[in-house]
Formats: sequence, C-alpha cells, structure tokens
Amino acid sequence: MTSETKSQGAAILRDLHFPVSPEKVMRMRRALKRELLAQPNLLPMRIAILGGSTTTEVKSMLELFLLVQGFQPTFYESGYHCYAEDVQFENPALWSFKPDVVFIHTTWHNVLEFPELMDAEAAVEERLRREADRFESLWEKIHTQLGALIIQNNFDLPRLRPLGNSEAFEPSARVNFLMRLNAEFAAYAREHSHLLINDIHYLSAQTGLNAWHSHTYWYNFHMAVSPAATVTLARNVAAIVKSIYGRSKKCLVLDLDNTLWGGVIGDDGMQNLILGRDHPLGEAFLDFQRYVKDLQRRGVILAVCSKNDADNAREGFSHPDSILKLEDFSAFKANWSPKPENIREIASELNIGLDSMVFVDDNPAERALVANQIPEVETPELGSDVTRFAEILESEGYFEAHKVVQDDLNRSAYYNSNTQRSTFQTSFSDYGEFLASLEMTAEIAPFSPVYLERIAQLINKTNQFNLTTKRFASAEVEAIAQDRNFITLYGRLADRFGDNGLVSVLIGRVVNETLEIDLWLMSCRVLNREMELAMFDAVIEQCNARGIRKIVGTYIPSKKNNVVSDHYLKLGFAPGETSSESFSSFHYVVPNSEPARARFIHRTASASGATVEDASSPDAKPELAELALNNKPGCLIYR
Amino acid sequence: MPKNAKKMTREEFLLEMDEILGLQPGTLHGEEKLDELQNWDSTVLVELIMLAETANDVEISPEQVVGCATVGDLLRLAGVTLKS
Repeated sequence: MTSETKSQGAAILRDLHFPVSPEKVMRMRRALKRELLAQPNLLPMRIAILGGSTTTEVKSMLELFLLVQGFQPTFYESGYHCYAEDVQFENPALWSFKPDVVFIHTTWHNVLEFPELMDAEAAVEERLRREADRFESLWEKIHTQLGALIIQNNFDLPRLRPLGNSEAFEPSARVNFLMRLNAEFAAYAREHSHLLINDIHYLSAQTGLNAWHSHTYWYNFHMAVSPAATVTLARNVAAIVKSIYGRSKKCLVLDLDNTLWGGVIGDDGMQNLILGRDHPLGEAFLDFQRYVKDLQRRGVILAVCSKNDADNAREGFSHPDSILKLEDFSAFKANWSPKPENIREIASELNIGLDSMVFVDDNPAERALVANQIPEVETPELGSDVTRFAEILESEGYFEAHKVVQDDLNRSAYYNSNTQRSTFQTSFSDYGEFLASLEMTAEIAPFSPVYLERIAQLINKTNQFNLTTKRFASAEVEAIAQDRNFITLYGRLADRFGDNGLVSVLIGRVVNETLEIDLWLMSCRVLNREMELAMFDAVIEQCNARGIRKIVGTYIPSKKNNVVSDHYLKLGFAPGETSSESFSSFHYVVPNSEPARARFIHRTASASGATVEDASSPDAKPELAELALNNKPGCLIYR
Repeated sequence: MPKNAKKMTREEFLLEMDEILGLQPGTLHGEEKLDELQNWDSTVLVELIMLAETANDVEISPEQVVGCATVGDLLRLAGVTLKS
C-alpha cells in the first residue's frame, strides 16, 4: 500500500470520529468498510440482531462501528418484527448461529400493553408487570440457552403526547408508562450481569425526538429510528461491545493550561487562573474538572503531560477552586520535553499500553504531534472550546464501562501505592530481601461469584502476561465456574503498601488425568513478585487433590505476550510434541508432593476457612471433602 | 449539506448505485430499467433514497422513486446532472 493510499485511508476513517456527520458516514459507508476491513488483527465476533422493526440500516451501521472498534462481526438478523418469536420458538437459524452477543432492537413501537386512558394505578401496574415479564422471559431464555450477552434497547419516547405535560405523571399516559418500564429494565440490568442496556431514552433526548424519528422512514419502511440517528445508535452499541471485551481505554492524559484551567500558569500565576464560578469560562473549566474527577473516581487513571516548569504546574492544583488535586494523578510530567516522549514515559511508568491512553490538549499542534508520532494513543480533536471538551470525550465512548467493579474504584489508589513500592525498592540491594519486606499475602481460590465480573474484565483486557489470549464473555466465565470439568483459580495479592486486587486468573480443563491449561493470565501490576509461582503452587495442590498426574500448558504468541514465551519452561515444563508455528505446548508431570515455589507470598485461606488437608482428613465432614474435591466456589484451598 | 459542498457527479452516483445493487463497477449507464435490475428490493430503495439525500441534499419520497422507470429517471430525481 502506498503512503498516499494509507493517508487517504486514514482521512476517510477520520469521518468515523468526532465530529461524526451521519450523512457523510451513510454516503461513504462502502469506502469506510473497505478501509476498516483492511485493518490487521480484527477480532471475530458473532452478533444477532433481533428486531422489532426494520433492522437493515442498524446492521449496516453497526458493522461499520464494530469494525472501528477492532471487531470483525458476523451477523444474524431476525425476520421483520420477529425479536420475540425467534427466541420463544427457538428459531433453529438463531440457535445454530451461537451468537456471542444478542442485540434486541426494540423501541416504544414494540410495547404491547400500553394502559388505557384513565386506567387505575392497579391496572397500570399489572400491564407494566406483564410487559416487563415478557422481556425478562426472553432475556432468561437467551442467557440460559444461548449463553450470550444481551444488549437491550430501553425505550425512547414517542413524538406525540395526547395528554400534554400530564403524560409525565399520569399513570395511564404513555410517557409515564415508558419511564416506569425503563426503570424496570434498569432494575433487571443491575441484578443480572448478562443484560446491558442501550440507553436510547438518553440518545433520543440528545438527538431530539424530531430528528430521532422519521415519518417517511417509519411509514414507508418501518424503520423505528431515522437513518441519521441510526448512526448514533450503532456507535453507542459498538461502544458497549467494546467495553464488554475489555477494550475501553484506561488512562486519560491531560494538558494543563487552557485545558484544565484558563490561562497559562507560568505567566499568569495561580491566583490569576480562570477557574471558578465567578467567571463563565472559569465555571466551564470547573465543570470539565468535575467530569474528569468523576472519570477518575470510577477507575480511569489520570496523568498530566504539560509544557511547564514542574513546580508551576503543581501549584495550579492549589487553586482554591480546583476540584482536581495532585493526588488524583497517577503520573505527572511537567517539563519542556516533547509530549510524545513524556507520554511514552507515562505508559512505561504505569505499565500500560499506549493503545489504552487518551490524550487531551487544547493545542492543535501538540495534538497533531502526538497523533503523528504515537498513533496508538487516541487524540481527539478537542478544539479550544472547554464547554465542549467533556461531550467530545463522551461521544467517542473511550471509557465506556458496562459495569463498574470494586477494583475499578481502587485503581488510582493502586497506581499511587505502586509509586511508593518503586521508591521503597530502591532502598534494597537484594531483590529477595525487597520481596520479603513487602509482606505479601495472596488469596488464591476457585472462581467465586463475587469476583466473576472482575475475572471477566481481566480475561478480556490482559494482553502481556497472557499465555493464550483466549477471551470469554461473562456468561461463559460463569458457566465454567460451575463446571466440574474445569479447575479455575483467581488470585488476589496484597502487601504492606496496599491491595493490588484480583490480579491473576487460571482456567484448566480436566481431561482424564490431565489438566490442560486453557487460560493463564496475570496483571502486569504484579510482575516479578512471584505471584505466578504462588498460582502454580495452587494448581499443583488442586491436581494432587483430584488425582491429576499431568499438566499441559500452551503458549499462543501474540503481538503483546512475548514476555511469557518461556513461562512454562521456567516453571520446569518440558517442551511438548505438538507444537507448531502458531502455538507451543509444554507438559509437566505432577509429583506427589513438591515444596512451595513462592517463597515470599503468604497464602491466606478463602472465605470458607478449610484447607485441602482438612478436607482429605478421615475426620473431614463429607460436605467439606465434596467442596474441596469438586472445586466449588468458596472452597478454601490452602494454608 | 453546506452550500458550497461538492455535489455528486453522474458517474459517482452510478458507481454508488452499482455498489448498492451488488453490481460490478461501471455496470449502470443510465438507460437501464429499474424493475429489470437484479437485487432491486425495499432495502435498495432505502439506500437509494439516502444516497440521493446525502449526495445532493435532495429530499425525495419513496413514492417518487417508485415512480421512476429507469436509472436515468432516478438520476434526474436526485438532481444529479454533473459529469465529472
């Protein structure tokens, strides 16, 4: 491909990023698709669209935006308005398609039980319940029989309000009924991780109902959403899919002057910064800081990259109105070096990939430099109007989170404590002494329901210490956790500086007397801490408890996991006989007993408190032995 | 569409139609009868309406498209007259 062709391709693909012109995307869709299909390493996925209206345009746009997110989708599309029938009657075509994700494209047109005018509250409640139950039965069936994740539209509002403003509170009015139905959907989604909401109630408000609906396309083609609004809808669904697969970004790198505050701190001084409610622009910067703070609170790592003297830069956060404080940032680069250089250093310090970072700067020259030199870093065209910064970031869905788990909330604290660990390490000349002084404790146990979300998150976003880079959706992880034919282990690691959280996952399939390790990964937060040795100690104990005599490990090389190419050899595995160019296999004969390899990690019991020794003792209660041997969640494993 | 935006030429529109209909590029020239074209269905109709609207900022209705007999009629309806 010539460089001219490449740059033409890049120019075309820019149309898929803010500001997106739906008309242009519709017009250029084929050229866009050709360019996107030429991307390397697209991840195949299977998505079923079940429609309550015509879905041709939905499928076309969703394909584009899934390609943008690095997926290569294969689609199943239900017949017109067959979203319920396909599931209720187990359409063989859908069942044999085996989707990873089912997207249910319904809208307010698909509500069957709108109340009659002036229905009493009790009657309205009955209709609400029947309507909600109808959908819930579909979701349950999809979840239990297809094992797919479900993305379900909630309800947009109709353009017309026969009861006027009283539709907002009158129980028998459609607007009020739809809002209550949306609350039912939300309640279900909170309790069931297999259901995700595509919030078209919000999207239609953002778009404007008159632009969201089109009489022409509804009455002639039964397209419930206008073609232009379908672009917005598809982009949103693709962002949800991206988050399911762990591809949301992790780190927001921020410039300071005229990005987080108005003015140039080096020239104006802290006291003259435009920040605060007594100035319109100051209030806008405050609101942007608040937005960034909210991102940080739910797990997005913040970093500063500013052309400033470091002391001046830090002083800006002492401004009395500054919502962001220095301690909110896990990395801080304020100097006169080129920003691409600083961003690479930030990535290295935080041990994250460049492709997990978003860079925000009001200066177009700085943005262009970073975009040119580190194309893996997302560099949105922010412009210079601070009132639009947050909506531009949001429109790209960089940090879409379909579920916020506890480890996300603790992420900044982890990165900050890691700085303390690194500083502490420099005081030791012997690495073993350093590890011993960390006073590490690990909880290693079979998958527990309370950790399944975090386990699925790690499985789908860990790239470096990942032996096979196999990905599993949440529903699959849940099924494996309950399947006696698998040995599953999660590992949490804490030390004197703090809790690293859940950092390692292992899944092995039991085949007669052999354990085949399908998946073994570890967060790079805890590299070189012997956590992989502690996990292996736990695997050996599980194997001995179950009479497994051989372990087979596989390494499947990827662009990012070279660090573990010799992992099994280091553990003492022998090369297997079935290796090829695309994978290497290794095997290990399990000894009857083996001293623990992890010397500096104290393994704690899991919640139930028993040990394998206790379980195999003649005096053990039968149910305890059953737990230990059958690898049920909550089984406590090791002393 | 901005006032100074480039309008689609006849050749560009025909190529887009080739692609919508799944035809080899350069198949359509303008004199073809619409109801004799392969793959002509409601999906194509939607895409052609959108093509006309986005290409030249022309609002056309499905009834108007259905009233066209040839590809040339469609080009005139979509306001496509320019040659490249």
